[in-house]
Order: sequence, then structure tokens, then C-alpha cells
Amino acid sequence: MDRRSAMKQLALLTGGVVLIPACDFSEESILQAHQNLKITASQKELLTQVINTIFPGKVLKPSEELQLPDFVLVMCNDCLDKEQQETFVSGLQQWDAFSKEQFGKKFSQMNSTEAEDCLRTALTMDGKEEEKKSAIGFVNTTKRFALQGYLNSEYFMTEIKPYELVPARFYGSKKIENA
Amino acid sequence: MANLNINSKKDNTYDAIVIGSGMSGGWAAKELCEKGLKTLVLERGREVKHVQDYPTTNKMPWEFEHRGAIPEEIKKENPVVSRCYAFREDAQHFFVKDQEHPYVQEKPFDWIRGYQTGGKSLLWARQVQRWSDFDFEGPARDGFAVDWPIRYQDIAPWYSHVEKFIGVSGNKDGRDNLPDGEFLPPFELTAGELYFKDFLRKNYPEREIIVARCAHITGNKEFYAKQGRALCQNRTLCQRGCPFGGYFSSNSSTLPWAANTGNLTMQHHAVVDSIIYDEAKGKATGVRVIDANTNETTEYYAKVIFVNASALNTNLILLNSTSSRFPQGLGNDSGVLGKYVAFHNYRAGISGEYDGLKEYTTEGRRPTSGYFPRFRNVYKQETDFLRGYAAGFSAHRSMITDYSGIGEELEQAITREEYGPWRVGSHMMGETIPKEESQVSLDPNKKDAWGIPQLKVSMDYDANDEAMIKDYLEQMTEMFEAAGFTNIRTRDDKRAPGLDIHEMGGARMGKDPETSVLNKWNQIHSCPNVYVTDGACMTSTSTQNPSLTYMAFAARAVDHAVKNMG
Repeated sequence: MDRRSAMKQLALLTGGVVLIPACDFSEESILQAHQNLKITASQKELLTQVINTIFPGKVLKPSEELQLPDFVLVMCNDCLDKEQQETFVSGLQQWDAFSKEQFGKKFSQMNSTEAEDCLRTALTMDGKEEEKKSAIGFVNTTKRFALQGYLNSEYFMTEIKPYELVPARFYGSKKIENA
Repeated sequence: MANLNINSKKDNTYDAIVIGSGMSGGWAAKELCEKGLKTLVLERGREVKHVQDYPTTNKMPWEFEHRGAIPEEIKKENPVVSRCYAFREDAQHFFVKDQEHPYVQEKPFDWIRGYQTGGKSLLWARQVQRWSDFDFEGPARDGFAVDWPIRYQDIAPWYSHVEKFIGVSGNKDGRDNLPDGEFLPPFELTAGELYFKDFLRKNYPEREIIVARCAHITGNKEFYAKQGRALCQNRTLCQRGCPFGGYFSSNSSTLPWAANTGNLTMQHHAVVDSIIYDEAKGKATGVRVIDANTNETTEYYAKVIFVNASALNTNLILLNSTSSRFPQGLGNDSGVLGKYVAFHNYRAGISGEYDGLKEYTTEGRRPTSGYFPRFRNVYKQETDFLRGYAAGFSAHRSMITDYSGIGEELEQAITREEYGPWRVGSHMMGETIPKEESQVSLDPNKKDAWGIPQLKVSMDYDANDEAMIKDYLEQMTEMFEAAGFTNIRTRDDKRAPGLDIHEMGGARMGKDPETSVLNKWNQIHSCPNVYVTDGACMTSTSTQNPSLTYMAFAARAVDHAVKNMG
């Protein structure tokens, strides 16, 4: 498949939203992730809402500007084993139903405060219980990859905590001021 | 077999052939070319040119699709190489994938290989500690393997010769069991490491932490500029290939130097099938090579042949070089070829925290660490196991960030970091004993893609190794506790041999042709125009990272070969 038709398919899958491709991962990988994990447009939207709740952009840039939803999907597709992938996908599928059952409202219908409370509680839940396994696995995996993507984004590593490619120095005993 | 006429025979004739372009082959090539010999270097892998073939070298972390991680599919297809610490997204293109060159594991062995110009010298950990007579005299004193046919004084000038050229950063520590060399300025120990060094001086006066000597340029830059290399820039991205040539590799140093003489011919994709032995002349006359891509066989000829294919592949080539004179493999009259292989025991480690030194941290990055020279059984036998271990030791001030929240709380938290405790850690580097049952051989049935028998590997830990692991963990725990370190955790990761990437032996040096393959000049006893100067030559393993010793052997052997060529 060439790039153009790949992008077209991706546009269909993501409900018409085509992101400007960044140099850090290819649109082919994003497309493959959507296809292999069978992510629908509404699921992608829900995932985006979860990630936006983790990084709402109140202090830093919002997650969507860093393409975190696509990053999370690419990592799930490429770097999880089959079983972990299944947990992630079924957790995403169940997420609205799960949040309704546990918190009395579908996650997709929550306002940002409710969404934050819901997610904060879900992240502390024990995922060993069978009926919670997928949903809790899903939110934990999403947070893990979203955090990884954020901390390793160009934005974060240039503007917030600049990464030095060429430090050209090492000091073994540097005095800390005001220690 | 290709039909050879006289012209092609002449075209394919050189003064010297070097099999392998890695750490030791690059050195053999440089020395041979400098001494005016037309030299053919055979490399089984692809060409990797210094700088221009380092595709990831200047990438930023966010430019890696998986931020450094190896995708699950690649891991599943390549379980062996995936266990190597350096097999990450930024350097995976320099490693041999499992299917590319299969081998038979009679016992679990993770064989880590780099088939390209420079071999594993692109990827190595760059640690270069000299051996001393406490190492060379080990087998004779403790009654294992055979006596080394050389002593420290035989190799010391060659250590100097190599160190000056490659560039070694180190401190003159004045230790008799880890001799000083030709050093460029050392990297600093950290405040935490200096604390532990001082603690040892007061409490364990015979034990010491030094900064590990490493093959990085930290001074004398005009000299290294002649090689096109510059000062190390503390990137610690060495495994990608260094655009500054800050660390030593064949690619950045010996091979371009050899090429500048006009005497070097490099042949890539050249899989060596065997060394050709001429019964009438009573010596080796050349090398039989299979083109990795076309499968075409070509013969190359030379007066002298250096085998530097990497320890186990050198064994494979010699075992596969049969003739009616040497039906069991070239130079294998004694039957020991392929036997007495060994490795380094890297299974155990320890970590902890130190709550002091609150006013200090570190800044920048350091391409080496602290080093604990061997302190067990050095001057006399003092434990219930033979030999001992060296260890890495490092201490760094940790930074703590709270990642537990979400939303604004998380966004605030990741912009802040606080100083945490110093984190201290160590890993063991244990000497293992070469034994007859530890061996590599040719599988009678299985062949590789070029019709060459697959190598069957059989080596394992023994009771001596287990006792050494126990002692290392006990001793380190005791010292860590006494030094006031807390949250001490020990580990034994039970890794298979091979992940140390220090496999050695099989064509060991010795005084007696009945019990060894090579003499004190690294010549095959019964075929002296073939020299083996890579890891295969090692009679014992000691604890030091071995590359420096291979390079010194290679330079010394070339000197001997050229003086005796007539």
C-alpha cells in the first residue's frame, strides 16, 4: 500500500480526522495499529478522551497535540504480546459499560471533573478480579504508554526538560545550591 | 568449486589474509598493512562505513518509533539476541538476528554476534583492563587448563602499543593485579563512589574502587585527529556508532588507518568455509570463501593467515578446515580444538541506596563506571572456590518524580523533580574455569545457508561458579551494609552463558602441542603460518573484559609473523 492510500484508509478509520504525520512514527504504523487492533472511530474517540483526561493540557500542551492517542495504539500494536493486546482492546470496548456500572455514568458522557475522578479511582482498582481485569488493564496500559509518549515527546524533551544529545561533560561531585 | 586459472590465482593472491574485521582482525590488518604487506580482510557481513552508515547516531529519543523498545514480533522471532542488553531500537541493525546464522544449543547459550565491518567493535562496552601475572599464572598456580605460554612482561609492551593508538581513559592506580597503562585523563568517580572507595580504604584496605579504564579519547587530541577521531562528547550513545570517533572501533580507527597505507583490500559478504592446507608444502596456502549473496566459492591465497572470526566462529572455521593431514580440523593433532571453552559469569548483581551526600549530585554523562578489581584469591587461595570476580560499581544521585497522579496534578508533577537518595549498584564479572566437557563442535547433520556445518555449543555453569555467585552476593551485601547502604537487593538472573559476550577458548595457547592448539606467538603449533589472535586463543578467562588482550595479541603476532616471513 502506498502512503496516499494508507492515509486515505486511516482517514476513514479515524472518522475523517487526519493528523499531520510527525517524523517520529509513520502513518503506516498508525494504520496497521488501527487495523490489527480493530479500533473503530468511536473507540478511538473514547481512547482520546481517556488520554485527554490524563493530560488535559492545563499546565502543559494537551495530549492530542503530541499525537498521544496514535502513539498509544502503535505501542499496543507493536510492543504488547497477544494476550496483553486482547486485554487492552476488550477493556477499551467495555470502558463505557464498565464506567456506567462502577460510577453510574458512561465515561464518554462525563464532564472533565467526573472523568478525572473516574479514572483516578479506576487506576487504583485491583485488576486481578476477573470482571475488572480488562477495563483496569486498559486504563493502566493507556496511562503507561501515554506517560511514556509524553515524557519522550519532542515538546517535552526540548521545552520542558531539554534533552542533551551532546553533553560534552561529566562531573561526579557537583555541589547542589541550596541543598 | 570455481575453476581457477593461473591469472585468477595471481589476482587472488595477497601477502596476508585476515579473517574477520572486528576488534582483533582490524588490529591484525592495521599492523600488517603498516608493515607493507598487501592484506586481504574477509568480512562475512555487510559494509558499515564510519559515520555514514550509522543511521541512528544523531537521532533524538522521540525520533524512535517505539522510543527505544524492540517490537514484540522481532522479540518473538529472535529470542536469543533479544536478551542482549544492547539490542534496542537504536542499534538493532548491528546485531545478527537468530535465523540469519543458526546454531545448535546442546546447552543453553546465547550467542551474540555482529556481522558487518568492525564486527562487535561497534557495539562493545569499551572496557579495557590489563591482565597481570595474577591472571596469566592462574592456571599453573591453581591447577586447571594448561599453563599460559606467556607472562605479563611478554605482552606489556603490546598493551602499551595498542592503548596509545586506540586511546584509553584511565587513572594510574598503582595496583599490582590491574597494571597501569598508557592513559589519557580519567573520567571522574562520583561522590557516591568516592565515599565507598574511602569506606573500603578504612575498612577493607586490600579492596579498592577505581574508575574503569575505557577506550575513549579524553586528551591528546592532535594525535587522534590523525585518525579522524575527536574527543569523547559524553553522549553515551556508543552502540549507535560514534560520529566523533570518541570511542575505539575498527570502523573509526584501525581499518581506515590500514586503508590509508594503500595495502588493504576489504571483501564483504565473504563467508569463510575453510582454510586451505597444502600437504606438499606443509602449510596453509589460502582460504576458501563463499559469497554470502551468490553462494559462489572463491579461493584466496597468502603466505600468512590470521584467523579473527570471533571466538566461536574461529573454532568453527578451524574445525571445518579438514585435510588428510588434519582430518579433525586444522592444527587439531591434540584433539583439544573446540574444547576448554569458557566465558564470564555475569549472573549476579546487587543494588541499594545511600541517604548521605545530600549536597552532591552528578552532571553530564559518563561512558564508563566504577570498577572493583578482583580481591578474592589474588595472593593466595582463601575460599572454597577457585579464582574470583571483578565487579562493576556505580553510584548516582537519583531524581524523583511523582508519576502517580492524572490531570493537572500529573502535569505539574512531571515538570518538577526532587533529589532522591544515591543509588548504588554492582554486577559481577566472574572467571570461569575452562573444562574439557565445555566445548564447541560441528553438528554432523545440520548445515547453515552456505552448506557449512552448524556449530554445536555446550557449556554451562558449574559448582565453582555457583559458589562464586554466593560469595559475591555475600561479600557485596556485607560491604554495602557496613557502608550504610539501605534497601539492598540482590539478584541472580540465571542468564545463560553467552550474554556476557566474552566467550573464549577452543584453540588455546600452550607450551605443549599435545595439550594446546597455539604456541606462545598465537601460531598453530603444526601449521605455523596460521595465527589465531581472537578470543579463541584464550587459555583461561580471568575477570577482565578481554578485547584489549586480543588486540595486543594481534599486534604482537603480526610483529612475529613479519619478522619470520623471510
